[in-house]
Amino acid sequence: MVRTRWAFIVAAAIAACSAGTQPAAARGRVTVGVTETIASYDPYADSVSLAYSIWCQVLGCLGVYDYSKADYVGMLAESWEVDKANPNIWTFHLRHGLKRQNDGKELTADDVVFSFHRVNTDPQSQQKQNVAPVKEMTVVDKYTVRVVTKQPTATLLEYLFDRFIITGKDLYEKYGARDADRKYLWGWGPYKLKELEIGQRIVLEKDPANPEGKPENSDTLIFTVMREPEQRVTALLNNEIQIAEFIPPQLAARVRESKSAKVAEVSSVEIMFLAMSPKYKPWDNLKLRQAVCYAIDRDSIIKNILDGEADRLDGPIGPVQYGYDPVYAKQSLFIPYDPAKAKQLVNESGYRGEPVDLYTPVGRYIDDKEVTQAMIPMLNAVGINARLRTPEWATLWSDVQRGKTPFYYMGRGSVVDPSPALSQYFETGGSPRIGVSDPGIDKALAAESVDFDPASRKKQLNLAFKAIEDAAPACFMWGHHLLHGISNSIEFKPDPGGRIFGTQITVKQ
Amino acid sequence: MVGYLLRRAIGTIPVILLISLLVFLLIHAAPGDPADLLLSDQATPQDVAEARHRWGLDQPLYVQYLRFLVNVLKGDFGTSFRYSDPVITVIGERLPATIELAVVSLLIAVALGLPLGVWAGAKPNSWADNLGSFFGFFGISMPNFWFGIMLILVVAGYLNWLPSSGRSTYGIARGSETGFYITASLLAGNLAAAWDGVRHIILPAIALGTNMMGIIMRVTRSAVLEVMHEDFVRTARAKGVPERAVLWRHVLRNALVPVISVGGLELGGLLSGSIIVETVFAWPGSGSLLISAIESRDYPLITGIVIIYTLAFVAINFMIDILYGFVDPRIRFEK
Repeated sequence: MVRTRWAFIVAAAIAACSAGTQPAAARGRVTVGVTETIASYDPYADSVSLAYSIWCQVLGCLGVYDYSKADYVGMLAESWEVDKANPNIWTFHLRHGLKRQNDGKELTADDVVFSFHRVNTDPQSQQKQNVAPVKEMTVVDKYTVRVVTKQPTATLLEYLFDRFIITGKDLYEKYGARDADRKYLWGWGPYKLKELEIGQRIVLEKDPANPEGKPENSDTLIFTVMREPEQRVTALLNNEIQIAEFIPPQLAARVRESKSAKVAEVSSVEIMFLAMSPKYKPWDNLKLRQAVCYAIDRDSIIKNILDGEADRLDGPIGPVQYGYDPVYAKQSLFIPYDPAKAKQLVNESGYRGEPVDLYTPVGRYIDDKEVTQAMIPMLNAVGINARLRTPEWATLWSDVQRGKTPFYYMGRGSVVDPSPALSQYFETGGSPRIGVSDPGIDKALAAESVDFDPASRKKQLNLAFKAIEDAAPACFMWGHHLLHGISNSIEFKPDPGGRIFGTQITVKQ
Repeated sequence: MVGYLLRRAIGTIPVILLISLLVFLLIHAAPGDPADLLLSDQATPQDVAEARHRWGLDQPLYVQYLRFLVNVLKGDFGTSFRYSDPVITVIGERLPATIELAVVSLLIAVALGLPLGVWAGAKPNSWADNLGSFFGFFGISMPNFWFGIMLILVVAGYLNWLPSSGRSTYGIARGSETGFYITASLLAGNLAAAWDGVRHIILPAIALGTNMMGIIMRVTRSAVLEVMHEDFVRTARAKGVPERAVLWRHVLRNALVPVISVGGLELGGLLSGSIIVETVFAWPGSGSLLISAIESRDYPLITGIVIIYTLAFVAINFMIDILYGFVDPRIRFEK
């Protein structure tokens, strides 16, 4: 009798558990498993890509980069132009009649200018770099904003679009920063912020009044923090989430084999490279730096370690970035795997076999430790006495930022228009990360950054790529493929920047 | 007893001071600068310098520590570099999740470990002993991060019985905003929310409590084995007291003192163990918060969490001392 009772209790518990595991994807609700969290209610206090993605679709930004069109498109801004007589002056025209969530207040130029000042003056702001080229921003009329740059900046949209978040001036003035951020985070984006539990989840709800949100887009969009890839994949197959971002190649097979989900892949805008700082010996030797680039068999690493889930970079950028010219890349920027030439360059360099340490993060990028482990014998084979070092990320990144790491494997994300990233790493005074100072690179980068004619600028950019490759402060490796697990109940095409906008997601009927 | 507790309370002050100094020195000695780690990839050297100044990191170390101490005396643990909120607020939002997880793990550990230990100790070398010992050794030897991943794979993944991560399902209203989801929902009579909380907590609590269960089982077994041979047990049996009453009323009560001691120490271990388990299960508690604080060198937050954990250890030991008196009235605290 006692056993029967226990058996009943256990069976009931199991049944209750099973019955309780209902899919989170109720019709119209899409849950995304993400790897990072927003750290603050203050939209300017964080600079992770998730934060920009969330705030851009909730509060609004002037525009975004449309990867399918390979061009910038307006969001809150309808159009923009550069003054032909004075290229320091840009004018942005805002859309008319854009109503704010909850109270219907119209977007005006005052809000844009206020946001610019808040980015610069908010004590918690971590987004000053996004408006760094801007000297001043003024209201021309209700729907027009004038932006004056410190110097002609052809890449201004790369700074402002996607990353310059617009918040309401009136809400800030009426409620103060804390309440405006915690209770009145209303904006002009297609989704409203419904709930923000820092470290756990962010819930957005479609604003029915916003014309950007379509009926087929999910009514509710939930970003839930799941740092472990195993967890994201299990939750996807369990139908707890409908999108699992950033699945490592080794787990992709599990998703591909399932009947309820698929893998969507796209080339990332993050570029991976080996940096060699000419400030340190023996990397002050150009021939030795060039030898490294010939010594690494990138195709083999991509095929055998990255499971083919990466694109080799011929030059600093790939097809998903602005300015990529496949013909020029193949003819002028492609560096083949050529150990014989690498050996010859090592011999010519006068390098005497002193040990050099290759630093790599572990677990920061896809298979980072494994790919650098594979590089060591390749370098040894051409006579470079390389050893692998794997410090903790915080230590490594701090040292790289301060220019204390002579030789390292690293990625640079958010490279859409490559100009700011290349300037940061390779222009004299850009940052201490590599510490290269080369007049040829400086001249080429300076020329492209003030060229406002797109066709001409692309040519200038390619010349800058060539100048960087010739000076060889870095060997460009590959761009990873971003793998997302997608439930069959939705349609979603991930973009190379890793943004997830509710308006890109269609819930199947 | 009050005097004893007062002396103990005063005695903890230098402990807290020492811990705060050690933590402060250690995290500052660790390589990696918060400004480098927390600001954007595109931040300029000027942005980094500005952030360091804002956070007081450009001051000499002793000035930073003294300022920290003075502020702590005023109840201010500083402002988190990463979350831009007072440290106490940030911890306060996450601590209930950790406490709830620790309490449920403790319940699981005691509910399984104690009976298994008693049965195993009462019948040494029997099938009950072998079965209990199997679970005991399983719990002790299983790394909780691996066990957690296995639970996610099997129970959440293949069997699809329970959610794989997180603390609650969006859309199920909770009882209150205290942060104690299950308790608050139960008190509010919101059974749906309480059940949702239970379903989410089962797997992380098992992963966290299994180790403690094993230890409690082994300690209880040893203690019961020892007490079973005491004269009073023989006397009780001779008087015709039923075996079940002998075991659970006389033997267990006398065997509990070492179990409580080990249980108290292990309860502290639950807090530290939660650091890993919370990460594995995306449990939004103070353990996963500590991990992210360390990764980003959020000095005020790291120090705040460690001090809170230290206070929790001290408080647990207090409670254990008090429990001794209840379990064994022969134990007195006064000199």
